[in-house]
Amino acid sequence: MHSEKIDEYTKKNNIALQGGGQDRIKAQHDKGKLTARERINLLLDEGTFTEMDPLVTHHYHEYDMQKKIFFTDGVVCGYGSVNGRQIFVFAYDFTVLGGTLSKMGAKKITKLIDHALRTGCPIIGIMDSGGARIQEGIMSLDGFADIFYYNQLASGVIPQITASIGPSAGGAVYSPAMTDFVIMVDKIGTMFVTGPDVVKTVLGEEISFEDLGGAITHATKSGVAHFVAKNEYECMDYVKKLLSYLPQNNTEEPPKTKTDDDPNRLDHNLINIIPENPLQPYDMKEIINSIVDNHEFFEVHELFAPNIVVGYGRMNGRVVGFIANNPMHLAGALDIDSSNKAARFIRFCDSFNIPLITLVDTPGYMPGSNQEHNGIIRHGSKLLYAFCEATVPRITLVIGKAYGGAYIAMGSKNLRTDINYAWPTARCAVLGGEAAVKIMYRKELAKAEDPESLKKELIDEFVEKFENPYVAASHGTVDNVIDPAETRPMLIKALEMLENKREKQLPRKHGNINL
Amino acid sequence: MDYKILDIEKSFEGKIIENLGNNEYVIKINDNDHKLKILNMTSKGIEFILDQKYHRAKYLEQSTNEMNLVIDNVPITLNIHAHFDEIVYKNTGGGGTGDAQLALKSQIPGKVVSIAVTDGDSVKKGDIVCTLESMKMQVAIKAHKDGVIKSIKVKETATVAKGDVIAEIE
Amino acid sequence: MIEKVLIANRGEIALRVIRTCRALGIKTVAVYSDEDYNSLHVKQATEAYHIGEAAPVKSYLNQEKILEVILLSGADAVHPGYGFLSENDDFARLCEKNKINFIGPSADSMDLCGDKMKCKAAMLKAKVPTVPGSPGLVKDVDDAEKIANKIGYPIMLKSVYGGGGRGIRIVNTDKELRDGYESVTGESMASVGKSAIIVEKFLEKTRHIEFQMARDTHGNTVHIFERECSIQRRNQKLIEQTPSPVVDEETRSRIGKLVCKAADAVGYTNLGTAEFLRADDGEFYFIEINARLQVEHPITELVSGLDLVKLQLDIANGEPIPFKQSDLKMNGYAIECRINAEDTFLEFAPSTGPIPDVIIPAGPSVRCDTYLYPGCSVSPFYDSLMAKLVTWGQTFEESRTRMLSALNDFYIEGVETSIPLYKTILNSDEYKNGELSTDFLKRHNMIDRLTEDLKKEKEEKSEAALAAAIIYSEYFKSRIQNNAINNSNWKNKLN
Repeated sequence: MHSEKIDEYTKKNNIALQGGGQDRIKAQHDKGKLTARERINLLLDEGTFTEMDPLVTHHYHEYDMQKKIFFTDGVVCGYGSVNGRQIFVFAYDFTVLGGTLSKMGAKKITKLIDHALRTGCPIIGIMDSGGARIQEGIMSLDGFADIFYYNQLASGVIPQITASIGPSAGGAVYSPAMTDFVIMVDKIGTMFVTGPDVVKTVLGEEISFEDLGGAITHATKSGVAHFVAKNEYECMDYVKKLLSYLPQNNTEEPPKTKTDDDPNRLDHNLINIIPENPLQPYDMKEIINSIVDNHEFFEVHELFAPNIVVGYGRMNGRVVGFIANNPMHLAGALDIDSSNKAARFIRFCDSFNIPLITLVDTPGYMPGSNQEHNGIIRHGSKLLYAFCEATVPRITLVIGKAYGGAYIAMGSKNLRTDINYAWPTARCAVLGGEAAVKIMYRKELAKAEDPESLKKELIDEFVEKFENPYVAASHGTVDNVIDPAETRPMLIKALEMLENKREKQLPRKHGNINL
Repeated sequence: MDYKILDIEKSFEGKIIENLGNNEYVIKINDNDHKLKILNMTSKGIEFILDQKYHRAKYLEQSTNEMNLVIDNVPITLNIHAHFDEIVYKNTGGGGTGDAQLALKSQIPGKVVSIAVTDGDSVKKGDIVCTLESMKMQVAIKAHKDGVIKSIKVKETATVAKGDVIAEIE
Repeated sequence: MIEKVLIANRGEIALRVIRTCRALGIKTVAVYSDEDYNSLHVKQATEAYHIGEAAPVKSYLNQEKILEVILLSGADAVHPGYGFLSENDDFARLCEKNKINFIGPSADSMDLCGDKMKCKAAMLKAKVPTVPGSPGLVKDVDDAEKIANKIGYPIMLKSVYGGGGRGIRIVNTDKELRDGYESVTGESMASVGKSAIIVEKFLEKTRHIEFQMARDTHGNTVHIFERECSIQRRNQKLIEQTPSPVVDEETRSRIGKLVCKAADAVGYTNLGTAEFLRADDGEFYFIEINARLQVEHPITELVSGLDLVKLQLDIANGEPIPFKQSDLKMNGYAIECRINAEDTFLEFAPSTGPIPDVIIPAGPSVRCDTYLYPGCSVSPFYDSLMAKLVTWGQTFEESRTRMLSALNDFYIEGVETSIPLYKTILNSDEYKNGELSTDFLKRHNMIDRLTEDLKKEKEEKSEAALAAAIIYSEYFKSRIQNNAINNSNWKNKLN
């Protein structure tokens, strides 16, 4: 019965699945790119994708657009599960009118984000778009604005992840920037506000797509990309891995797993990672790798501001966000980029109930006119603000140097950090010995017969007096000095103690972090 | 879904045709139907009967295009979505999953006794990268593919755990 | 009469000794380190005492601590197993001094046998043929080089206090000798705490054939047949069998008499093993006497019907050996496979970690001596031997096929094992035809053949693997239902 109706439905359905048609699909494949639906199938668990609004089309008639009507209108939306967890996903379809965004496309995406908000599930966006659909004029731009509005609505409520596997230019680029994490596929994903052609016309600057806004550029220089994937497979792996550390929404705790790694595991080799000579660098990641469950540390934003390390690890099954100075780069000093990187990471973790562990070894803020003129004062304050604002459990472990403003900024006690520990090798002071002595004893050194040996004597005295954690411990500003071998058990115990921490900020519309 | 087992160079088409309920299914592998009954399943492993034969499988590391499992004690790696490989690897030039792997991981725990190469050295598959001491024996960790040492992740006297990255080889 | 035995060892051999003692109504005392508190031997002994940290030198090699426990527990005898303190004459003397019955040879004969040079001298005197080598310990690496060139390469650098294959290097040139000298010294120190090097000619295509012997305190000496242990890697035995395909009744009797002569020559007491290398021309060369119960003793037990640990206890009690040489008759064929936690493709590097599940084979004439049980773990601090799988048959073929079947049944989850390699070896024509030699693995490209076999196995299992992969996603569909039910936080939040 009704066989004609059934046939009509089947026919329409099949056309919808073809996107822009076989030719365009082949062109996409020839460029080494998968289609929107293929990407969604790579991401989701087999057979769990339910598409929404596949039969949406645009309703434009200017510029002969009525001759170019395609189902889905350039975006494939829907929901499904990733490793058993429900998520919402939209993927721009480059085969349909170059993946350009139209009013209806934007409507689909905002509808999707709305669903995600109503059900409290993460949203993944796959970018592969030529930008606004010029033929639709302002309506297309309004579509983008709608999406940006919803990105903001969802920010801090549900995790938003963007995978950039193709171009996104002009206005399109701001949506990914507003999401929480951006993964770009090397040599395929590009993002820029103004393309190389216009750049050449206006400024005369010649630059390639890759150099202007490719994955490596954004991962290392601008910090827009948090991850660089070698190919689309790896991109999906990153999304899945990231999701495994995050809760579905901000009312939930991050997923806890059972681990075989003994929470009481000691590591007597940790102290050997720190070289005897304080001027020699070491890799902070070795320490993090040792203390996390199964030596698995998922680093985020690896290529940007390597002088600070941020990422996720598990401690006895609980997800923890780590922030740590890395003496391998710039001696672990804080600067503009690292302050931004860490501050954003802290605020994300705070939004999603992820406790924070901070490992400190920093000689201070980077000096110099470059930093000062570019606003190290403003950017540095972000880190302080972010720490103070975070109400998730916060633990700080001072491993080496912690001087001056950087000592304060890296989760010191009085920023209302919950637990502060220090290794015996910790050195908390206003300034390092050399610099301090030069200032405090300027007159004496000028008068001395043998200023070098006097200086050495004074430095030794200063070091003994101040450059150790015991002074801080005696004031309670460090809760305890711990045996480095016991770092893992001590941190886990602190986390367990802080499990049900409850802290609220005073009600206000929002603070005024120095952006 | 299409699958490929690299070691034996065979490709397959496989999917679930019918869910008969009570943990029984009909699946299709290439052109043949098979009856499958799940006896026991967790995210880590499964016991099942396939056409009257009992099997047990352990699910190991998974990634988007690779499934690692141990079936009846035999380790097998399956490439999933293999028909996308040509497209996906077009821009990055990466070959099969084994070659594309950057990290040379240690299969055993031990202490680094000596490192035989430095960053930038060319190595061939099988060249000694470093030597570990484990259980009173010295074991050489060898390069898993031809290439250039991109970065050595360990140093002498460091302790490594099973699975730790020793070096990255491009 | 011995009433309480302390077993100064761990793992499967500790269990082995406990079992015999228990059957005889003798109480047992187990000792364990930090690593072993969950071990089977600890659970099965009458009493168990903690003796120290994981590292052997802090626990199983700690003589003072072990003596303390012997006195504390009131044990009147100690069984040292193999390895650890079993051939440590200081420990034997310590026991003798404290009037504790050391179940093994006297400290003096242990000292003599343990010192390969002294032992060789005693053999020469007793007219037992030995392998050409250095007249004594080499003074240094230069001396070693001189002797090596005199005897002619290839030669073996051997630690006098080695055992279990440690402290041995085969070298072909002066350069290799210089390189190998240090590591041989090192390995010996790490294994038993002492080091001294001798040089021996390395014979090619040899077979390793050893004879079990026993001598009581009344001067009675018997040999309990030979064992062929030619299949080795890095001079450690992998597969042993008895009888040897190249030992007929006449040879057995002839060499057996030599063995008894050797035991008399060193004044040996209790059980020991005389090891020989049989050259391709049929000549037997004495290598050493292992003054302890050996790992592979079960195969001798299966073809002789004896309980060798019980024999040790009898001799330690001062009783005469309860049978004559003429009473002993070999019955059937036995094979043992040493199931090691090793990665064959990583040059047998040790594989360690927890063992979530294990299924131990059984059946007619299938014996498995092992410390494994689901939930135990293989420690990086100790030997990689997890289990000894032994089978018996009326014919060699029967014991071989039983072993293959048992290997197939053996399921160990959590570590790499040598089981796949043994299947390939036991299926090979060369093994079936008894064409054994100490370079068996290399000579017959066993590792390559293993790779081929594994490939075939993968082909056979590919369909099942696919089924497992296909059904994998089903699991997650069911989880979505569960997650939705649990996500009520969101739904109920009123703010």
